[in-house]
Amino acid sequence: MTLDTYKKNYHKNKFQYLLTNHLAVILESDDTLFVLEQKTALDDVHPFFESLLSLFKTKGETYHFSCVNLIVKGKDVIVDISIHNQDGNKNLVVIEDLTNHYNNYQLTAQTRNDSVINSQILELKNKYLLEKEDFKNTFITNFSHQLRNPITSIATFCNIISDTNLSAEQKNYLHIISSANTDLKNRIDDVLDIAKINSGQLILTKDVFSLATFLDEIVYEYKSLAANKNLDFSAEIDTKLPEFIEGDKFRLKQIIDNLMSNAITFTTKGSVGFHISLNYIRANKISLHIEVTDTGIGINPSDYDLVFERFAKIESPIQNDENIGLGLAIVKHLISEMGGNISIESQKNIGTKITCNLSLSTIPRTYKEPKKTASPKTFNFARKQNVLLIDASELTQLSVLKTLALEGNFYLEIVSNIAALSEILLKQEFDIILLSNKLGNHSAEELIKKVLKTSRDYKDVPKLILTPEISSTEIKRLIRVPNTDYIKTPFDKNILLETIYEYLKK
Amino acid sequence: MIASKKIVLLGHFGVGKTSLIRRFVQDIFSKDYKVTIGVHISKKEVLISENKKVSLLLWDLEGHEDIKRTRPSYLLGTHGFIYVFDLSRPETYKALKTEIEHLKTHYKNVPIKVVGNKMDLVTKEHIKQNADVFDDFVDFFTSAKLGSRVELLFSKLAKELL
Ligand SMILES: Nc1nc2c(ncn2[C@@H]2O[C@H](COP(=O)(O)OP(=O)(O)O)[C@@H](O)[C@H]2O)c(=O)[nH]1
Ligand SMILES: [Mg+2]
Repeated sequence: MTLDTYKKNYHKNKFQYLLTNHLAVILESDDTLFVLEQKTALDDVHPFFESLLSLFKTKGETYHFSCVNLIVKGKDVIVDISIHNQDGNKNLVVIEDLTNHYNNYQLTAQTRNDSVINSQILELKNKYLLEKEDFKNTFITNFSHQLRNPITSIATFCNIISDTNLSAEQKNYLHIISSANTDLKNRIDDVLDIAKINSGQLILTKDVFSLATFLDEIVYEYKSLAANKNLDFSAEIDTKLPEFIEGDKFRLKQIIDNLMSNAITFTTKGSVGFHISLNYIRANKISLHIEVTDTGIGINPSDYDLVFERFAKIESPIQNDENIGLGLAIVKHLISEMGGNISIESQKNIGTKITCNLSLSTIPRTYKEPKKTASPKTFNFARKQNVLLIDASELTQLSVLKTLALEGNFYLEIVSNIAALSEILLKQEFDIILLSNKLGNHSAEELIKKVLKTSRDYKDVPKLILTPEISSTEIKRLIRVPNTDYIKTPFDKNILLETIYEYLKK
Repeated sequence: MIASKKIVLLGHFGVGKTSLIRRFVQDIFSKDYKVTIGVHISKKEVLISENKKVSLLLWDLEGHEDIKRTRPSYLLGTHGFIYVFDLSRPETYKALKTEIEHLKTHYKNVPIKVVGNKMDLVTKEHIKQNADVFDDFVDFFTSAKLGSRVELLFSKLAKELL
């Protein structure tokens, strides 16, 4: 066979040629693909042609349609169709059978589309889950904040009652209420921390503090807690540790508190130990090594991972399990934020050793050590000091009043709105001002401005902001101004007094 | 003779164009997805009023993310468009506005019905949340699966074409 005949043979079974008039009525057909009788109207053959009748009436045009799915006389094909207008109101219709070709394409398209759709659906599910998680975190945060107020009230009034005449029995009950309340507060703080971690809002602060003092306080605190339970306590503090470091003191304390209080809680006899040493100082990084040991109930190796899981709680024989799993989950996160690691070694009923490494910073070169001040409590004033409290909360008013009254060193004036503030500032002079971080619509910054506007003399008068959070940038900026500081609410009455005395002495 | 009208269904792949036609023409639904390639044409007569019929020639096109990629010959002599998107997949209505505007400028006198399909998969809340996208454009919320408002969609459009 010649190439030409091959070609003809090939073409023959793939192409159907039709001649029609301008009404798409068949004049001639070679019937390669379908047998179509003369005089049949193409619009009766398939709705494809019915849709295009107008194209058969045009002149000198060619139309091409690719990938048309046709069922003609029970035969299922995928074809390309072209309509060529011819002279004398005739049309040549060419149908090319490309079923195999397009079926292959169909398979590719199927895989591609399936995967695109699946990934969009996945993305959507993911988005939905994230929104749910977000909602959960916001809910927890808001709700926990709402719980804080009543807890603060309980704490404040426990404090106030404790200074009244109480029988031994009443004192005992009060102590139970107060420690249950502290426990509740700690748990809520933990829940808040978890919500912050989940939403990526737990950010470490950087402040210079005395590591030596910090560690002294820890040793003092846990020595007495251990003694209360008749446990031996040993502390090892590396002498190579720098005196001052920079980092998040509050969070470092939280880590150590969690580890130490767990050790004490889960140990009924024997000892607990605290060890801290320097790994290295490199560039401005200080790497610390901390070990907390106990001779308590221990943890099964299979539960090691569980301890750090968010809401896990290990089966414990001790009823009073104050530190349910949350604390350690937070610790783990904090340590990893400090570029460190934590590990457990433990033997059931023999004891546990928790080891962690974490990094803080050396103090910046520009930092000047504050001068050491004598204990403020010993200070005696020549006259009673005038204190102004700007705060609308009756609770705060009452607790400041109680605290200062017992000292006998102060006159207290209280204003709870902005109008009263202007009035009192004109009438009287004050030695120290305590102000809320929010009075009506007014921020602490606005309140301070208002005070300074009355008289520039107030520039030198100490101003202490009572605020539940110092994370706000505004407060942080304010307390950099000399003679301005903050007291975290709910405040401990001793801290309030110490801070006031310290500033009045200057 | 019954007038016949060419209606073209457009929209991303997988939004339910084929399913809407099958529900309308054969009153069936399948949850399996078989990608349409090229074009399928089906026909259905609808009764417009007591003694008036129109025969709809429904062009079910292969879906594209971008309307401009549709083969132009497919759109020759179109009497009406149905633009379908999937209420449960934002990707498919992200560019709704541009797509519709493109159609409106290039096919000035051709009526367009915009359809949010798979109504059965979403909540009323979802539709409210997207009101800014949907309110101005969408004519029908349908479900090919349940058959909701499918008849209505085609008969409304058919009436407009006469
Ligand atoms: N739940 C639900 N699924 C639908 C609906 N319409 C179509 N589907 C499904 O969506 C997928 C794609 O439908 P199809 O009609 O092929 O979309 P097309 O690519 O636009 O022709 C198939 O799995 C259908 O079963 C609907 O109204 N509800
Ligand atoms: Mg389809």
